[in-house]
Amino acid sequence: MSSSSLLPQEDARDAALFFVVCALCFLGALAALSARAAYSAANDWTNDVTGQITIRIEGTPQHLEKALELTRGFPEIASARALEKSDAEELLSPWLGKNGVPEGLPLPKIIAAEAQPNAKNMGEKLQSAFQQNRITATVDDHVVWSEDVRRATDSARLVALVAVALLAATAIAVIAFATHAALLARKEIVNVLHLCGAKDSFIAGLFERRFLGLGLQAGTVGAVLALCAAAFLLYMAKQSDGQVWLLPQLSLSMVDGLILGLTPIIAGLSAMLAARITVIRSLAELV
Amino acid sequence: MNNMSLEEPAVQFDQVSLSYGLDQDVLTQVSLELHARSFTLLTGPSGAGKTTLLKLAYLALLPSSGQISLFGINTNRLNRVGLAKLRRRVGVVFQEFRLLDHLTAYENAALPLRVMGEPERQYKDDVIELLRWVGLGDRLHARPETLSGGEKQRVAIARAIVGKPDLLIADEPTGNVDPEMGDRLLRLFQELNKRLGTTVLIATHDQHMVENAGAEVLRLADGHVMHQVSNSPSFTIS
Ligand SMILES: Nc1ncnc2c1ncn2[C@@H]1O[C@H](COP(=O)(O)OP(=O)(O)OP(=O)(O)O)[C@@H](O)[C@H]1O
Ligand SMILES: [Mg+2]
Repeated sequence: MSSSSLLPQEDARDAALFFVVCALCFLGALAALSARAAYSAANDWTNDVTGQITIRIEGTPQHLEKALELTRGFPEIASARALEKSDAEELLSPWLGKNGVPEGLPLPKIIAAEAQPNAKNMGEKLQSAFQQNRITATVDDHVVWSEDVRRATDSARLVALVAVALLAATAIAVIAFATHAALLARKEIVNVLHLCGAKDSFIAGLFERRFLGLGLQAGTVGAVLALCAAAFLLYMAKQSDGQVWLLPQLSLSMVDGLILGLTPIIAGLSAMLAARITVIRSLAELV
Repeated sequence: MNNMSLEEPAVQFDQVSLSYGLDQDVLTQVSLELHARSFTLLTGPSGAGKTTLLKLAYLALLPSSGQISLFGINTNRLNRVGLAKLRRRVGVVFQEFRLLDHLTAYENAALPLRVMGEPERQYKDDVIELLRWVGLGDRLHARPETLSGGEKQRVAIARAIVGKPDLLIADEPTGNVDPEMGDRLLRLFQELNKRLGTTVLIATHDQHMVENAGAEVLRLADGHVMHQVSNSPSFTIS
């Protein structure tokens, strides 16, 4: 004789709540995945270019030599080298073919340098050093560009984080609301258990377990749907050569796995917490 | 159960008044004492406040003023956990039964034990035995909606006594049964009172019961309680 649950099995209200929590978890997981994608896109792009300095020298090969010497003289510079003819040939091969650069074609004199990660204002420092030595040079440290990228991805990240926070808050509010409704519908059960000497924690526990289970299940379904959606976007991006902004970063990583794995747990725990608070508060109305 | 507290009055009302909201007092400065192992009937006209008095005694209501003690424990001084533990020493048969529709007769009767966290294997046989004793041995798995009024009442009684309470409170327990079943139930309560020393407090309209129980009778009228002793203790206990 195995005893049935003290709370009756779920009714139509619970099905509606399941759907809502599921949809919120789907949206929340997608928003978190987008935030993650924006974050690593910003990191990857800025990491790629920070520290990379390109210097173009106007003048004779002696000027190039001198500029190289000056550049290497900075302790913040990790490495610096002049681009050779072969580098230029490699860069220009799509246009000039395998025959290489024709003799006599003036090649730009370019130094590719790399600064230490913590170096600051290298562009300005190099520029003034060249000026003092009367070398005409254009220094590009990609700062403007990477700042632009950072700003753009920062705002994308902020929007995504706000969306995640809003969705989480909505989910908790909806669950609290639903628990309250469930409690009203089961008020007689709560009252009878109370009069039989049940402690508040015992009655709250019944609802906590019910809503923990609901949150976990709905969260899992939502997360799986979000995974499918992300995989679909990734697939579409691969089909179109991956040349779409942000999407190349949507490769499913460990962090994405963590986000998807945490979604049901967060949903379950917030459902449980909402249930606990609502039940304890309604029980306070009983003697 | 606790021998120390059995020496104390099971129920003690001290200047207890109660009004619902802003309405007139239902009970006005009621003082009464039920001795441990006593058997008391509470009677009075409909609307006199019998159910209200019982609710105060089984800790479903707080008095507007005054003090209620159970087994010598002042309920004003208890926190919620303390009140829950005290409720476990009180079994209640509600006027409208209040069985849980989604549970079977057996599960309803076992509810107080389950609430206390006892494992089912420890109480299963006792609960079945108890339901047999009240004549429901063949209705163990029936849900309340399929039970007759009298059967529901007996499930409610089984639930009230399953935890061997120190105090049994019953609100019109014979309201829904024929006189013969009424006598059987009364005998059951008397047996509990005699055998287990359970203090019994029963609210009833049933004049037959008042005359035959051989118990102390409290009469409630106009918010006050008057004592009156039944003078024809013709009921005998087998
Ligand atoms: N929850 C409530 N809110 C407001 N008034 C109430 C409430 N419960 C009872 N009353 C009022 O208190 C008075 C006493 O009610 P109570 O149920 O205690 O009477 P009773 O003696 O048990 O009656 P009966 O014999 O019909 O069961 C009645 O006038 C009733 O209308
Ligand atoms: Mg009544």
